[in-house]
Amino acid sequence: MSLANRMAIASPQVTAICVEANEFPRLSAQFGVRSVPRTVVNRSGSFVGALPEPAFVATTLKLAGVPLDEQGAEGSGDKSELPG
Amino acid sequence: MGIIPDRVREQLQARFEGALTGPVHLTLYVKPGSSRLILPAGVGCATCEDAREIAEALRDAAPEKVTLETIDVTRDVDKASMVSDVPTIVVSSSADEGRVRFQGLPAGTEFPALIEAVERVSRKDPGLSEVSLSQLTRLTEPTEVLVFGTPT
Repeated sequence: MSLANRMAIASPQVTAICVEANEFPRLSAQFGVRSVPRTVVNRSGSFVGALPEPAFVATTLKLAGVPLDEQGAEGSGDKSELPG
Repeated sequence: MGIIPDRVREQLQARFEGALTGPVHLTLYVKPGSSRLILPAGVGCATCEDAREIAEALRDAAPEKVTLETIDVTRDVDKASMVSDVPTIVVSSSADEGRVRFQGLPAGTEFPALIEAVERVSRKDPGLSEVSLSQLTRLTEPTEVLVFGTPT
């Protein structure tokens, strides 16, 4: 949650929205939220769990379709797709 | 009795005194019919009054740095389009930005994240490594990052 906010402060391209999952069950169901934290990028790809900064930034960029350079690729984890 | 004890308000005031360097604007989006009653979806807002208390507590902790605007989404349709649901608190360094948002009551683990967001926006300090900052410059399209959390 904090890392998404920090990315939004750093980049004018990023909007971070922290969602209280229990309060918005329909939105949570739409994105298949069964455990938290779950991070959803551009309402398409997502990942679960609190990642360290390098992995969080790299995975978010990867899900946003940004090709990673060597440093970013080192931190990137596997992405998961949202349920159909 | 409010949801934020006096002790926490005092801690907030002391913390913000050293941590805030620039202005921070909070925009709180709510709708009327607010109460703690859980109403059918789309009717009223069970947590808007608590979110208002939190937003006001942040403003009151450093009124010289933190400003607060409250928008009733049922009355201001143009501004309502900025958010998808209520309550939402938007943290920005000026009134026309708003890329750090908290949708729902920012209690539990979200409360420290909200406090940190206010501090970092005030200082314009993302607190990311040089590598991460460099990676972010590769982002050329608007990107939305939704992070789902819970109050516990």
